[in-house]
Amino acid sequence: MIRHRRFEIRIAGYGGQGVVTIGKILGTAFSVYGGWNSVNTQSYGPESRGGACRSELVVADGDINYPYVRKADVLVALSQEALDTYVADIRDHAVLLIDPRAVTRLPGTGAFRLVRVPTVEIARQTGDIKCQNTVALGALYALIADMIDEDALLQAIEGNVLPATLGLNRAAFEQGKRYVRSHFAVEK
Amino acid sequence: MKKHPMLKYLKEEAAAGPRLPLILCPGCGAGQVLNYALRAVDAVIQEDGLRKEDFVFISGVGCSSRLASHYLNFDSAWTLHGRALAVATGALLANPKLKIIVFTGDGDAAAIGGNHLIHTCRRNLDLTILCVNNGLYGMTGGQVAPTTPFGVRTVTTPYGNVEDEFDLCRLAQTAGATYVARWSTAHPHQTIKTIQKGIRKNGTAFIEILSQCPVHLKKTPAEMFRQLKKSTVSLKKAAAGRAGSRIPVGEFCDIDKPDWITRYQNVIDRLQSDERTHE
Amino acid sequence: MSPDRSTDLLKPGVHYLQGAQACAEGALMAGCRVYAGYPITPATEIMEHAAHRLPRVGGRFIQMEDEISSASVLLGASWAGAKAMTATSSPGFSLMQEVISFAIMTETPLVIVDVQRPGPGQGYISTSQEDVMQARWGHHGEGSIIALSPASAQDMFDFTIEAFNLAERWRTPVLVMAEETVAHMRERVVVPPADAIPIVNRTTPQDLGIPPQSYLPYGHAQVPPMAVWGQGYNINHVSLVHHADGNVTRYNPAVHLENVGRIHRKIEDNVDAIARLETRGLDGCRHVLICYGSVSRTGIEAVREAREQRGIPIGFIRLNTLWPFPERRLRDLVPEVDAVFVPEMNLGMMIHPVTEALRDRCRRVVPIPSLGSLHSPGAILARIYEEIP
Repeated sequence: MIRHRRFEIRIAGYGGQGVVTIGKILGTAFSVYGGWNSVNTQSYGPESRGGACRSELVVADGDINYPYVRKADVLVALSQEALDTYVADIRDHAVLLIDPRAVTRLPGTGAFRLVRVPTVEIARQTGDIKCQNTVALGALYALIADMIDEDALLQAIEGNVLPATLGLNRAAFEQGKRYVRSHFAVEK
Repeated sequence: MKKHPMLKYLKEEAAAGPRLPLILCPGCGAGQVLNYALRAVDAVIQEDGLRKEDFVFISGVGCSSRLASHYLNFDSAWTLHGRALAVATGALLANPKLKIIVFTGDGDAAAIGGNHLIHTCRRNLDLTILCVNNGLYGMTGGQVAPTTPFGVRTVTTPYGNVEDEFDLCRLAQTAGATYVARWSTAHPHQTIKTIQKGIRKNGTAFIEILSQCPVHLKKTPAEMFRQLKKSTVSLKKAAAGRAGSRIPVGEFCDIDKPDWITRYQNVIDRLQSDERTHE
Repeated sequence: MSPDRSTDLLKPGVHYLQGAQACAEGALMAGCRVYAGYPITPATEIMEHAAHRLPRVGGRFIQMEDEISSASVLLGASWAGAKAMTATSSPGFSLMQEVISFAIMTETPLVIVDVQRPGPGQGYISTSQEDVMQARWGHHGEGSIIALSPASAQDMFDFTIEAFNLAERWRTPVLVMAEETVAHMRERVVVPPADAIPIVNRTTPQDLGIPPQSYLPYGHAQVPPMAVWGQGYNINHVSLVHHADGNVTRYNPAVHLENVGRIHRKIEDNVDAIARLETRGLDGCRHVLICYGSVSRTGIEAVREAREQRGIPIGFIRLNTLWPFPERRLRDLVPEVDAVFVPEMNLGMMIHPVTEALRDRCRRVVPIPSLGSLHSPGAILARIYEEIP
């Protein structure tokens, strides 16, 4: 991944997909275990007309001033509405991680790197579609592995899911990671 | 001239001059309530060995609330209209050892303060509420109150009140107060004994004291006293159906139930013993 | 009080917290042991965190029946010797104004957090700075107040501790004028070792060797020593105009002026000791951006871009303290500029005291309003470039 002064990740979907949780987990991984500075924000509620819910993370070595994403380096879109709403605010050569079952219409133009991960399907195979978000997280990790240790993410997952679901979530993370590693060449 | 025995509990002089006499009108019942309350406190201090330092008087706003407005030789506060019980709640949360007595009136407690009265009773916070009920707003000139009976003319019901009044004791009891009683200024001994019980009660004690406002009701204090005696009836007689239109006085309930602080302390203790178990 | 389990406070080090959580933890660190509150979006997280944490440190939490009683709880708690706090949002803040007025007159230390959201009325549940004037003028009557403006989760921790310290030092209610942005963002919060965090406690008459019989509840100093209930000082708290001895009889205008005048001057005379600002790049600047709260985070980026990309000599001032307003300090910092930009998440509020302060120091004062959302750097820059092509 190209490293900027600020690295901006936006995850969007609809309420209930666990979008806010992965933002929290990422932020914890980067800031608590990874030694980075990060700001995690989210929005949901009436603003999510039609169901759009977003969580964002700004990561940097030093101070982070403006706390929101200006142009995302990574956009994870788990619903069509999310993609439609946020695809304009991505950097050139940003990574666009989508679930191809949910996101079927893509913009015709734009220099982004498309990574299709069937998160719902993988989650179902792992044991529960509710861990779609950790599948997406594992997939995302595979794309930014040079910035953060896997262990940091696994510790962060542990602190942010119910103990009874920890095994399931770790498995889902693993499956998401493996899917990307086996299907996509990872650029640094 | 012999000094009134309760004067030891009042601040007579201050650096800026004398604080007495009280601002209250001659013949006002609130002065008597002050006397009864101080006698009750005095008895509890002497008999139970409680510290005078632990007593705190808190009032809202109104004639009866003036009792805690810088006359008392105790810790005290003259607070906001209707909010004395919330202030008292805060004091208890900070120092549960305080013995809190709240002076309030019918308007202060049941109109603007109604919600806080309901919730204080529900919570069963350990304090004593002395609600001086004169059936109107005295300090502001005699307006109608939630305790003014139907048909009564006041300055804001010049053609007669179209509303029925609260039964404050029933309200307090329903809300959850564990000691509820009603007397009047014309029942000095009973009132003093009841206030003692209220102070000793571990929980919310709601004590309504019917009181005279001779100025706004345009009667002499003596007339009003006679009326208070005539218009009240013991609970026993009322229960036997012989009340007529008279107001029942006496003890409505006296229940044992853990107070709020005790219940919250159980939470604190449980958390801290859980932690010790996991150390 | 139950035994104080200060060992249960946040451990020193780096934590990752929501601003709301950081605020509640800051309160605990400052010694707050009574919290009363009422649910309201977007402040509820502060209360929920307090509900979890208070009993663990031996404090007490209560959810009250409304905001008025929540604020009233703080009065009794403070008079009984505890540090106490509540958090609310804008509609609840309106409800608390009478209590704030009362706290000013009785000189009662307490902390109220307002997580601002747009109004008027229900408005919306997003972010705002629309209560910043209400903070100063919303309580009826005279008497000044202290209001702080945090911009980050770290600030929520630090400024809440500072709020308690200021409340105790100056015997006054202190407002933390937060915003939804700041309450909900999750960021690093660095917690120093407990002994490195200065904590201020009110001066009591015992501290000054004043016995009950010579104690004047509203006397002895510009900030009167404060007696606590239960210690035999027979302290009577009263908000009617009073003499230094707490007497309310014998009203006269001179007493009134002395009483309320002192309370007013107590804060306003000490603005230099109380108010804090941050500045960047003021040397040789020809324009200046003045902001507060989360807008300052956008402001820093906008100013940097304007300087780096267009060479515009623009400086930056952040008001960490909104009230008392540091007028003289601002005038000292800004001797002469062309444009003063004031971005706010309202239609122009702090721009008024800014203009009063700098009207003769600049050619124009330019508001940059935004309602309901935080300005992006681009939005602020667009306005700057409009004025300075």
